[in-house]
Amino acid sequence: MTATTHDPSRPAMTHAEVTRDIVNTLRTPSRGYYMALFAAIGMFLIGAATFVALLKEGLGLAGYNPPVFWSVYITTFVFWVGIGHAGTLISAILFLFRSPWRTAVYRSTEAMTVFAVMTAGLFPIIHIGRQWIFYWLLPYPNQRWLWPNFKSPLIWDVFAISTYLTVSTTFLVVGLVPDIAAVRDKMTGWRKKLYGALSIGWTGADSQWRHYSRGYLYLAALATPLVLSVHSVVSWDFAMSVIPGWHGTIFAPYFVAGAIYSGIGMVLTLVIPLRRVLKIEHMITEYHFDNLAKLTLLTGTILFYAYGMEYFVAWYSGNTFEQETFWRRAFGPQWWSGWTMIICNAFVSQLLWFRKIRRNLTSLFVISIFINIGMWFERYVIITSSLSNDFLPFAWGQMNPTWADWGILVGSFGWFGMYFLLFARTFPVVAIQEIKEMIPMPRRKGGAH
Amino acid sequence: MRKLLVAGVGVAVIVGALALTSFRPSTAQQQAKKPDADSVVAPRLTVADSGQLKGPKQPIFFRHDIHSGQYKIQCQYCHYSVADAAEPGIPTLQTCMGCHLAIGGSDSTHRVEIKKVRDAWRQKRPVEWVRIHTLAKHAHFPHMRHLKAMGPNACATCHGDVARMPQVFKVNNVNNMGFCISCHVERKVNRDCTACHY
Amino acid sequence: MSAPNESLDRRRFLKVVGITGAGTAALSGCSTDQVEKLIPYLVQSQDQVPSLPTIYASTCTECAAGCGLHVKTREARAIKLEGNPDHPVNAGTLCSRGQAALQGLYNPDRVAGPRGRNAAGKLTEILWNEAIDQLAAAVKAAGNRVAVISGAGAGTFDDLLSQWVAAVGGKLVRYQAFGHEPVRLASRKVFGADELPIHDFSQAKYILSFGADFLETWLAPVENQRGFANAHGFDGSGMAKFVYVGPRMSLTGINADQWVAPNPGSEASLALGLANAVLNTRTDVPADAAVLKPMLAEYGLDRVAADTGLAPVQIRQLFDEFASVGPSLVMAGGVGLQHRGAADLCAAVNILNYVAGNVGRSVKFGGGVTTGDGYGALLDLERSMAAGEIDVLIVHEANPLYSVPKQGGFRSAFEKVKLTVSTSLFFDDTAAASDLLMPNLHSLERWDDARPRAGVRGLLQPVMEPVFKGAATGDVLLQVAKKVGGALAGFSAPTYEAHLKSVWADLGRARGATDLEAFWRGALAKGGIFEPAPAAPPVRLAATAGEVSGAKPALDGDGEFIFSPYPSSMYHDGRGANRPWLLENPDPVTKITWQSWVELHPETARELDVREGEFVRLTSPAGSVEAAVYVYPGIRRDVVAMPLGLGHLENGRFAKGRGVNALDAIGAADGQGFLPYLSTRVKLEKTGHYRKVAKTEGNPRELGRGITEAMPLAAAVKGLTVKQAYEAAGHPSHEINTELEVEAIEGFRESQLEKRKLGAYALTEPQWGMAIDLGRCTGCSACVTACYAENNIPYVGEEEVLRGRELSWMRIERYFEGGDDGRPISARVIPMLCQHCDNAPCEPVCPVYAAYHTPDGLNGQVYNRCVGTRYCANNCPYKVRYFNWYAYAKKAFPEPLNLQLNPDVTVRARGIMEKCTFCVQRIRGAQHQARLEDRGLRDGDVITACAQACPSGAITFGDMTNPDHRVVKAAKNHRGYHVLEEVNVRPAVTYLAKVVPGSEA
Repeated sequence: MTATTHDPSRPAMTHAEVTRDIVNTLRTPSRGYYMALFAAIGMFLIGAATFVALLKEGLGLAGYNPPVFWSVYITTFVFWVGIGHAGTLISAILFLFRSPWRTAVYRSTEAMTVFAVMTAGLFPIIHIGRQWIFYWLLPYPNQRWLWPNFKSPLIWDVFAISTYLTVSTTFLVVGLVPDIAAVRDKMTGWRKKLYGALSIGWTGADSQWRHYSRGYLYLAALATPLVLSVHSVVSWDFAMSVIPGWHGTIFAPYFVAGAIYSGIGMVLTLVIPLRRVLKIEHMITEYHFDNLAKLTLLTGTILFYAYGMEYFVAWYSGNTFEQETFWRRAFGPQWWSGWTMIICNAFVSQLLWFRKIRRNLTSLFVISIFINIGMWFERYVIITSSLSNDFLPFAWGQMNPTWADWGILVGSFGWFGMYFLLFARTFPVVAIQEIKEMIPMPRRKGGAH
Repeated sequence: MRKLLVAGVGVAVIVGALALTSFRPSTAQQQAKKPDADSVVAPRLTVADSGQLKGPKQPIFFRHDIHSGQYKIQCQYCHYSVADAAEPGIPTLQTCMGCHLAIGGSDSTHRVEIKKVRDAWRQKRPVEWVRIHTLAKHAHFPHMRHLKAMGPNACATCHGDVARMPQVFKVNNVNNMGFCISCHVERKVNRDCTACHY
Repeated sequence: MSAPNESLDRRRFLKVVGITGAGTAALSGCSTDQVEKLIPYLVQSQDQVPSLPTIYASTCTECAAGCGLHVKTREARAIKLEGNPDHPVNAGTLCSRGQAALQGLYNPDRVAGPRGRNAAGKLTEILWNEAIDQLAAAVKAAGNRVAVISGAGAGTFDDLLSQWVAAVGGKLVRYQAFGHEPVRLASRKVFGADELPIHDFSQAKYILSFGADFLETWLAPVENQRGFANAHGFDGSGMAKFVYVGPRMSLTGINADQWVAPNPGSEASLALGLANAVLNTRTDVPADAAVLKPMLAEYGLDRVAADTGLAPVQIRQLFDEFASVGPSLVMAGGVGLQHRGAADLCAAVNILNYVAGNVGRSVKFGGGVTTGDGYGALLDLERSMAAGEIDVLIVHEANPLYSVPKQGGFRSAFEKVKLTVSTSLFFDDTAAASDLLMPNLHSLERWDDARPRAGVRGLLQPVMEPVFKGAATGDVLLQVAKKVGGALAGFSAPTYEAHLKSVWADLGRARGATDLEAFWRGALAKGGIFEPAPAAPPVRLAATAGEVSGAKPALDGDGEFIFSPYPSSMYHDGRGANRPWLLENPDPVTKITWQSWVELHPETARELDVREGEFVRLTSPAGSVEAAVYVYPGIRRDVVAMPLGLGHLENGRFAKGRGVNALDAIGAADGQGFLPYLSTRVKLEKTGHYRKVAKTEGNPRELGRGITEAMPLAAAVKGLTVKQAYEAAGHPSHEINTELEVEAIEGFRESQLEKRKLGAYALTEPQWGMAIDLGRCTGCSACVTACYAENNIPYVGEEEVLRGRELSWMRIERYFEGGDDGRPISARVIPMLCQHCDNAPCEPVCPVYAAYHTPDGLNGQVYNRCVGTRYCANNCPYKVRYFNWYAYAKKAFPEPLNLQLNPDVTVRARGIMEKCTFCVQRIRGAQHQARLEDRGLRDGDVITACAQACPSGAITFGDMTNPDHRVVKAAKNHRGYHVLEEVNVRPAVTYLAKVVPGSEA
């Protein structure tokens, strides 16, 4: 690489500037930040109150309407698990591929991943009938001589999610160590103590760097398969069943693509405002968003294909049940949700073919909102519309959500936002060290001065 | 009406008859079977001691160790339906009075307690025993099947050697599923969930 | 007379024993370590062993049929009602209403004791002796100005009552809302026989019903249904054809092979036309029928066509069929078709039966069946009440203030009476208006007998202590007699029980019984004495037989629609409206629960631009009612129909203010001895108000999914399978697996069986299975109620039904066929319950093994292990798993309804899944018993609640591995098929395809 042509992945600034700007993000925040934080906490409290009501009265408060035995809660669960996937993809896979543009955004996406999975992890507990014995889903020795059913996709879920949470958390924490050290040196008072502890004695010595980079590499290698496995497992919650509309062989890849799509959508939604609030526009530039947008376009197109394939398979199978289900998805009583999903995911993503749109943050932000909505509805459609009309017409029924459904949904966003905002205030959302690595070495030209 | 009810037997007469007759012969043969080795003389205790003894204090200081241990009265004499039904049957005051109309008690400590029985009978007021072995309501335990399988001395397997207890206490936590399962595994008998849970 | 003894209320402490000992109402999953008391009996009860059921024989009083009961009691509490197998009327089965008598017994809104009006006119608690004194004084003062309205059927009590009333010189009106007076009037007119005939379906090859809803409310529904199933079900060689004539397809109607809907009122003309056809074509017509020739001659094809508005070709087809096929059975006189011409219609049907040679064969007289003095007599009494000629009125087992249309003056007349006394168990509309409430004991709490027909004397015996402080009305009469003396001095029996016993002692002597006590006990154990009816001389045509007219009856009002209030198979004449089981059990035809509705033909609905759930106002000269619309293709375009039985002003928490009373839109005027229900035209207008209809049905059509299979008789006789029948008819059979798929499926099965060879699943245990004959099932829903009763299923109420959350483990799915595609409208029903699949999709997905396969082939559901992920329910293709969204059981059994709970079945807590268990508690019970007797299980040791209750015997249950179990033969039947076979879940429930007459399915 030469400095003659400026490489957009390399910010034009000095090491000192980088550290300064990042450390500045940790100084006294703006009013906007506080408003956002309090909003998030408020939303979380709504969710908490709803959950208490569910515990007290029962799941009947939610809009379940047999045969729709799963609805908004599982929808939101899958939504959040999906969000998680962008993080690991960007931080692990792109790291292995050495793609330079990840450095500016990977920290925030990793944080997003961890908090998204933390959020998703609550739902298996919220949605079950007897929340107080959720731990029966875990394999542990007990006097009853009973074990969980390892054949059940729900148990696979438990393992997938917990593994994912552990690995992505480790990844985040390890990545943070050098930066925390850097920040530590700029801080005073209790914060210095805190960062001192968290930086576990990081001095930046060569030996430390050598081991660190190795370790980080292996972690990335470990995390990579999870990107594919976790959401495949989640997709099997549905694909393993006999329900028309669930019983599909394309579910695993279809879900993984969707997950990454939704994940990056969420990254855009978060980072675009964040860089302004934290005044780091010069580190996360159009160049990075352009790349994110391309990834979105790719996965969005895969979804487009998957949707088409679902309908094709339904038609080609000649199976009356499948055909009825998909006909009703488009023209049944819940047609609106079906079309929301197709428009937001399949069609809107296609706008990203245009460079202008990819590089215009406003349009990207709007699109990212569409993506979030679309992906939530994708899960809603797959779950509720398939359940509402399966084999025996006499037993059909439509679900209609209630305040309890919305309460938990809102709460989940609050819970997620709360953590993300606190993180952005407390830890460097841009990886100081890696940015520094990207900065070209200052070189001397004969008598240039 | 109660009298009428008793008169209105209907089909149930057969069931009732079965229940009443079936244990008598078995009682006899068990007495024959029972070896003399474990003959015991129950210790002399006053009701005051019942507080120190293990197990909850009962309204009447009924001495299983005397009735079942010393005098070798068969469990099924009082727990009348244990061999025929899921419930063992708690002896009616009538059953107590069957003997205690005549038997007033050999010493003062006994007389005090037996008087309580007689008073209760006079006042037509059933004795409210404190329950010791309780099973979760979603578990069905058929006593008769266990007697059938393990013979008339099966009781001790779960309830401990009641014959030596001045005051009954819980030896095994019968409400622990593990307690049932381990036994069923040992004896290689039915371990199906719906054997007990339905 | 017994006021429960306060010092030792056995019921109350047995309840405690029940709860501690047998664990009645415990919610699964709750802690059990709290201190409990064990309270033993004082005296050893002779007939109660804790945890063992005690069964008493008794008689059902929920309608006039007088079915025999076996009352199952536990710890001296009645917990289930089943049919008495020895009883000639119901032969061991029981309808929903009969089973729901239990919810009458334990109804939380029963009148808890005697009540009298205080100075302020409020009903307040009084003592029994006060009540008796008050009544005695009033009777003494009134002299002969005493009247009694009694709904009690024939029996010792009725005899005593009539003697009692005669002694004081008062008036006795035997009144039943559904008295079927037209049938009786017609018997009188045509045969001079003052009774209702008994109908024998067994030999009938052709069954024709003119609006007689014999599966719901007409005469003896359970007996009818058994007979109908035997005649109409396919027996391997043939079956009877059933044609239903009426303006609307009732439950009986949807079971017909052909529905004929002539102009309402013109049915008589059709019947006489048929008679004429028989007379002209048949040679074996009774000789004395010749006198009818001139009268019948008028009813040629053209006249009938003109009257009925039916296509001549259809009439011709009916004429030919009926004249050629015999023996037949024709019925008429259903409440649903009780118009002013009903008596003539029934007379015409009598003539038809007579000329067709059915009288004495399928229609038998001499049974001495009567259902009271009828509506006419009631109106006479009303007049004298209004004229102030009555000072004391006692209303017993009747609710005239509800069952007589309000438009009439009955209520005002009732209020003119000085002292009105109600013996009703419930605070019904009549009781609420009465001055003195002397609640009778429930039929399960008292001594009595019933004489529904000659040769049948059923006994009633108290099976438990009274739940409330009622008193047997028989005892009340005797007590009053003692107090009054004088004319009543003759009534010397100390108690009604003693009186009854003396009557039965005479019966014993008459039968040459030496040991009367043994005779009495024998009768008690058997449920009564059942003898063949004494031979009656064959009936002949009476002189008045010829005076039958087929003229159209008049209708009031000038609305464009004819209003047809029809009897609900659940609520009957309204007595079922306070029983949650009956309210939640969907109407067999519309599948609506907890509500009233108005039935409109689809085209009518289109013209008026109303959709299901929109409210319409029906206005007739008599008044108007409003209810939600249900669009029903099985009704004539010019008719709107409404179920009777709801819309009570009082009658407890369940009935009060629920739905509307269809009687509010019809007049109360007499129709020569009966209440003409179908007698008004109504105007229809939208009210703009909407309420979702609480029906349990999602989609009324099968969409060609082959859920309820049917095959033509021709194919069935050839012994074809469903698939072959389809192919024979040239239709492609629905959804068949390809050779390859079948191969794969079979291979999969093989490998599974291979794997099974190890351990507990090596097929050493019995493999439970069920067969359901759709050729016999009528959709009556008795099995549903039985399931609720046996398995402690809580009702969820209207709001939750609207969310589709009912917990009906056994549900009857009803699918409409045709109607819109040129084919005539028809309906098929199929009982849907857990199929206990060998290859069950619900099992592998449960994360905690709460749903799993038991070694004896059940699809087990362990409530206390369930955490409520609901994946099993999602993955069940039959949607027969039900979830406790709330703690339904806590709300559904208010004291003392909880006393009905079955101690053998865990009451499910909130947040867990439940479903049909094949009555596993009965299976385990039978296994325990067999083990105690050192024997294996025999066929019939285990009968599920649904199979036990089914009046048509459509359900067989047993061990599929044991060739001598009937279920194996049934399942091997060539008509056998599995619902959703292509999903390859290997259900343990085999359905036998319905058979329809003719060569087209």
